[in-house]
Amino acid sequence: MATLDDTFDQFDEEEAEIPLGATLSGRKRLFSKELRCMMFGFGDDQNPYTESVDLLEDLVIEFITEMTHKAMEIGRTGRVQVEDIVFLVRKDQRKYARVKDLLTMNEELKKARKAFDEVKYAGIGNISTSLMKILLLAI
Amino acid sequence: MENIFDREDSENDGDLNVSVSSSCEVGVHSTEVEIENQESQSSEQGRDIRRDSEEGSPVPSESDCLDDQVSNHAPGAFEEIPTHAESETPDLSKDIKVESSHEQDIVLHKQFIPGKDKKKEIKSRKEIEEEEREKMQVLVSNFTEEQLDRYEMYRRSAFPKAAIKRLMQTITGCSVSQNVVIAMSGIAKVFVGEVVEEALDVMEAQGETGPLQPKHLREAVRRLRLRGGIPNCRAKRPLYSL
Repeated sequence: MATLDDTFDQFDEEEAEIPLGATLSGRKRLFSKELRCMMFGFGDDQNPYTESVDLLEDLVIEFITEMTHKAMEIGRTGRVQVEDIVFLVRKDQRKYARVKDLLTMNEELKKARKAFDEVKYAGIGNISTSLMKILLLAI
Repeated sequence: MENIFDREDSENDGDLNVSVSSSCEVGVHSTEVEIENQESQSSEQGRDIRRDSEEGSPVPSESDCLDDQVSNHAPGAFEEIPTHAESETPDLSKDIKVESSHEQDIVLHKQFIPGKDKKKEIKSRKEIEEEEREKMQVLVSNFTEEQLDRYEMYRRSAFPKAAIKRLMQTITGCSVSQNVVIAMSGIAKVFVGEVVEEALDVMEAQGETGPLQPKHLREAVRRLRLRGGIPNCRAKRPLYSL
């Protein structure tokens, strides 16, 4: 019957996903510190629960995995390019605007860095470029 | 690479309205902000206050004057708390242009309303951006200590690029460029923000307080999935089944 097959399909997918999920959560936590700061920044308590942080990390990893898989399917298959990511978030206003800002800012910083390097003030140029790197990291 | 955005710009600016500033505002979701009084008084006064305290001299309140803005306004936005000087400067007209600094903050997209106010200049994107930046400065200058902490965390927290790059390379099996990593970490942060904000709403609706619990997060994820904010893996639900 169609419905039985469908549930089996879902089951298969879940089974295929669950071992992956188990190894992911068994792996070392990748983003614990940063996620805590991020949750506080977005409105949570100053000390969020560890289980919440773990859950969010799993969600983020799943999100990134999904996006990467989808990006590999469109455009040039097997590769992930910026245009693919932009295409994937085109419907979501917030994410699209964010990607746009990040990439344009990155381009501007690269241009400014180049301009600095051309000016032969070695000391001053290095300090300014490291300042700009801090700015870029803080995104 | 920039072409993919430029084309969008020329076609429909109206669609790409501000969404970044809204995420800035909800960054202080759970704390009260009492800046309505200050904001209702003209924000130009706040602009003036900041200039006074930073440049240390009264700024002539002429319209259409090019003021040199100190270049470290943008990063200093959440570090300085200027004193509330009682200034009796008159209202500044809206045509004040401020020289934009190198470090651009948040770029907003303007809504083109053609044919409006030919005499007054049509507000360019930069002017709107400058106004928004001024408003943000006024807002941030009135933050309490805790709000400042939270705002700083909100701006500074980010996913480590190395880990994201490693993760993506494990998934794809081939190398990813730096731009991709930058874009992906940015999107992941927005994603976290959406989930956390939704979870806070859920918690508030249930009338609970304190740190977020996994049940709130799960309910938030469920709601977001329904709305389509989360990509799900080829969910094979039968669309039409008898």
